Amino acid sequence: MRLFLGQRAWMLQRATAVVLLIFLAAAAAMLLAGPPLSYERWHALATSPHGAVLIVVLFAALALHGWIGIRDIVLDYLHSPAVRLPLLGLIALVLIAIVIRVALTMAAHFMTAG
Amino acid sequence: MSAGGEEEDVRISIYRFNPETDAKPRMQDYDVMPEAGDKKLLDALMRLKTVDDSLSFRRSCREGVCGSDAMNINGRNGLACLTSLAGLKEPVVLRPLPGFPVIRDLIVDMTQFFAHYHAIKPYLINDELAPERERLQTPEERDRLNGLYECILCACCSAFCPSYWWNPDKFIGPAGLLQAYRFISDSRDTATAERLAYLDDVYRLYRCRTIMNCTEVCPKSLSPSHAIERIRLALVRESS
Ligand code: SF4
Ligand code: SF4
Ligand code: FES
Repeated sequence: MRLFLGQRAWMLQRATAVVLLIFLAAAAAMLLAGPPLSYERWHALATSPHGAVLIVVLFAALALHGWIGIRDIVLDYLHSPAVRLPLLGLIALVLIAIVIRVALTMAAHFMTAG
Repeated sequence: MSAGGEEEDVRISIYRFNPETDAKPRMQDYDVMPEAGDKKLLDALMRLKTVDDSLSFRRSCREGVCGSDAMNINGRNGLACLTSLAGLKEPVVLRPLPGFPVIRDLIVDMTQFFAHYHAIKPYLINDELAPERERLQTPEERDRLNGLYECILCACCSAFCPSYWWNPDKFIGPAGLLQAYRFISDSRDTATAERLAYLDDVYRLYRCRTIMNCTEVCPKSLSPSHAIERIRLALVRESS
């Protein structure tokens, strides 16, 4: 639990922000250089092993960063435990589900493509 | 009437509330004629007090040392004794420190504020054998306390901090955190690790969003947000 409290969360928020910034810069570079974006290009990226791992990392960083941010808003403004706990649980579940879904989609391709 | 003839009436609109008799607060307008030598807002309030002695506010030193006359002046927290009458937009609107429970008129309940202050253990902790004379510091070690020890605990900063408004019971607030850092950075204090461990909490320290209202408003020109940043960095160093 300490991972999501106090100093650890603060560090995690900054670390994931750096990861997201790097992705943003990479995406900008991809858009500026190279051929225009197309389905084929996205598909090639998502089906390359490196691309697939990077996409999972991106979503994991996004979910962690989002979790700390949303959690902070809830801790600031919603003070009733009866509202707060279910809401935080729901948000956590949705974020975890998103990451699992992305990871499964990426993995599924490699399973079938074998 | 003023003998100088240069001074003009100052219109002041003051938040009035007496919980024993009033159902809800109201604003009351006063016109006050400053006399020669009345330079600060507190001087005008003292004149008003002679006219309407039901008007309640705290004050003591009248020179920015005791921290008791903090109030919200035209939307900004400050000390009445350090605020010049000249240059104040009229009517001068005076309210109690925002976010603090009102006891009466401009007097607020500081109990919680001081509870946070006491919780950070605002005294030197050193269990080593005391030297025969004082515990010495190098000039550099002493310099580290500058910008920290001058805090007069007026609460202008904490009462201007949105994070403190939302969680005044759990967030220590800029004043308490500045004081905490004053002891963390003291070379004679040996409880740094315990102090940091106490602050490593999602509420006590990490409600701060670096909004920097605190630094902006401090009447002693101190920077609680800088102190908070230093505590965070100390925690990072501690954990790595
Ligand atoms: S830091 Fe400044 S504003 Fe805050 S309590 Fe101390 S003197 Fe007052
Ligand atoms: S910097 Fe932190 S303590 Fe200061 S006003 Fe902002 S949130 Fe409050
Ligand atoms: S009266 Fe003491 S600080 Fe203003």
